[in-house]
Amino acid sequence: MTHPLARIDFRYNTQHVPPKVRAAIQKNTRTAIVKRGEAVAQLGVATWEQLRQAAHDLKLHTLTHLDAYLPQLEANVIAAGGVVHWANDADEARRIVLALARAHNVTRITKVKSMLSEEIELNEALGDAGIRALETDLGEYIVQLDHSRPSHPTNPTLHYTKEDIAEIFRRELGVDAPPDPFVLTEIARQKLRAEFLAAEMGISGGNFLIAETGTLALITNEGNGRMCTTLPPVHVAIVGIEKVIPDWNSLAVALSLLARSTTGQQLSAYTSFITGTRAGGPREFHLILLDNGRTQILRDPAARETLLCIRCGACANICPVFQNIGGHAYGWAYSGPIGALVTPQLIGTLRAGDLPFASSLCGACADICPVKIPIPQILVHLRQRVVAGDAFAAPVAPPAMQAGARAGAFGLSQPWLYELGSQMLKFAQMPFARGAWLPSLPPPANRWTLTRPFPKFDATFRDWFRARTPQGRAQKQTRALGAAVLALGAGALLFALARKLWRRK
Amino acid sequence: MTSREIILSRVKTALSAAHRVPMPALPALPQLEGDASARIEATLAAIESVSGKTRRVTRPADLRNALADLIGAEKIGKAMLWDNADLRELRVAETLAELGVAILAPDADKRELAQCDLGVTGADAVLPQTGSIALRALPGQSELVSLLPRVHLALFRPAALRADLRDLLAQLQRDAHAVLITGPSRTADIEKTLAIGVHGPKVFYAWSYEG
Ligand code: SF4
Repeated sequence: MTHPLARIDFRYNTQHVPPKVRAAIQKNTRTAIVKRGEAVAQLGVATWEQLRQAAHDLKLHTLTHLDAYLPQLEANVIAAGGVVHWANDADEARRIVLALARAHNVTRITKVKSMLSEEIELNEALGDAGIRALETDLGEYIVQLDHSRPSHPTNPTLHYTKEDIAEIFRRELGVDAPPDPFVLTEIARQKLRAEFLAAEMGISGGNFLIAETGTLALITNEGNGRMCTTLPPVHVAIVGIEKVIPDWNSLAVALSLLARSTTGQQLSAYTSFITGTRAGGPREFHLILLDNGRTQILRDPAARETLLCIRCGACANICPVFQNIGGHAYGWAYSGPIGALVTPQLIGTLRAGDLPFASSLCGACADICPVKIPIPQILVHLRQRVVAGDAFAAPVAPPAMQAGARAGAFGLSQPWLYELGSQMLKFAQMPFARGAWLPSLPPPANRWTLTRPFPKFDATFRDWFRARTPQGRAQKQTRALGAAVLALGAGALLFALARKLWRRK
Repeated sequence: MTSREIILSRVKTALSAAHRVPMPALPALPQLEGDASARIEATLAAIESVSGKTRRVTRPADLRNALADLIGAEKIGKAMLWDNADLRELRVAETLAELGVAILAPDADKRELAQCDLGVTGADAVLPQTGSIALRALPGQSELVSLLPRVHLALFRPAALRADLRDLLAQLQRDAHAVLITGPSRTADIEKTLAIGVHGPKVFYAWSYEG
């Protein structure tokens, strides 16, 4: 993870993606998108669209009634024998977990993959306290062994080849493994089985919290979620307050969307429902409800829908920016379009002001999002926050960028200035042009040409538009006609003048 | 102020001027057409499509044969099973014992249970569309039976089939400790290659039992 206070330099990060990683990410995201498409087609697109709208509406309903649903959830968890803790911020959440671990003399914890746990940097805090927190999702396990970070919201090992993973196992576990996914998986199974049995505490996140009954719904494919919430005597679940849904009917809608969007499965292999404690399960169940900036997002009507997210990762898979750089460039726990959206709101635009710009605003993310978050609109809202500031944050863009944005806005609003500018570019580029390309430009434009050439300005957009569209061609004809009339008129005038002069002689 | 009060008051402030969105009407979920037999066939096909192994058992003698086949194919030495009326009636424990399998009690030490080859459960509800089976954590229905062994066998009756996911969840809601299982445990974390059998069972059998 980036240093807690360091600014996330997105552009710098994008320029340090190894080509191998890029290839792996392109391949894997493409597979995921194809599988998702098949799953949606199988359900029927009409049904799918109805479900998306319903999920959007029901989650927005829940968010705008959180003041009722949170106490209802809490009461039901307590009635079922669970303990509910409230954490204002990451630090408080970490302290609650540490206190619970100490109270139970815990030295070994097994964990279920949770982005929220990365958000609050829980493993580091536990490690500092001498408690070993082991990730048990295969992908997270590999990433943790390699002291790396997840490169995708739901698929943390997107950046490794099987050869890389065999090498990590050899180096960190001392086992000689062939680069075979099945053998590697078996090795992890053996290692982690012993850990599950020895752990004194299991820590999970949660996919949904059902207010109606106080139930935590936890979804995994590998079965590690079940292991961590069944075998250790204490289970601690840390969940963001936005994960509440009203009832089990709502859950049916949400479950119908989640696995299809994530992996293209109809349902994931295991969905566990946990309501307080139970005979034969952990003796204690603790639910930590985390705010950590979420109520701030809730306050902003233009950004509130950020909190609808069910963390499916589909927006990352479909994003042309993500496909080329992977998750690490986003610099924090959340990556892809949802990372660009959520990170600046949770850690502030001062540190994450680059991220709202980490998008071409093509809109593919909004089209694929199972809960219909208008991601591009909210990104634009956040861009405004970065450059101009708003009720939530002061502007953080450097003065040069602000001046540039203002100059640009002025230039674009004056057609003659725009025309002049684009004509001048044709001449200004001459010293740098090599064939059809501008291979290198002076600063600050070199930030582009350092990584890829820029195509030469051949025509201005207006010329291009005139040449290619019916309106443009019509415009061109009118202009040509106008020019002809003008030329004729001028010719006639000249002729008359010339005659007059000639007659005088 | 406690953190609880702070968070709840922040929520109130955040929503003070907000438009309170009403709860929408939720759309119907896809239902499965066809008679009872067709629905069983569809269920078994859905289970196969998520790498489950299925069999349609109609007579007690079939069940014995099926168990014998499974024990042979999967080299089962030790098993544990639910202790509920349904499995008792089907005499699963006795049949397994007769076939030479050692039976462990589900409340034995978890390390011992982790060595178990086979876990046999019933199914409280089945979703034909996705081939999912729901297991409730009731007394006699230990969750470990479907989790720790290498092989999981779930026996379900046609009466367990539900119309859609909403129907199925409505049933689980009553005691709200349950797991919904769709195929054996799996991962695609290594180069998106599907590998079956990560932490949970590696092989998942689901047999319908009529009769
Ligand atoms: S924003 Fe939408 S598509 Fe992206 S992870 Fe969240 S729910 Fe999925």
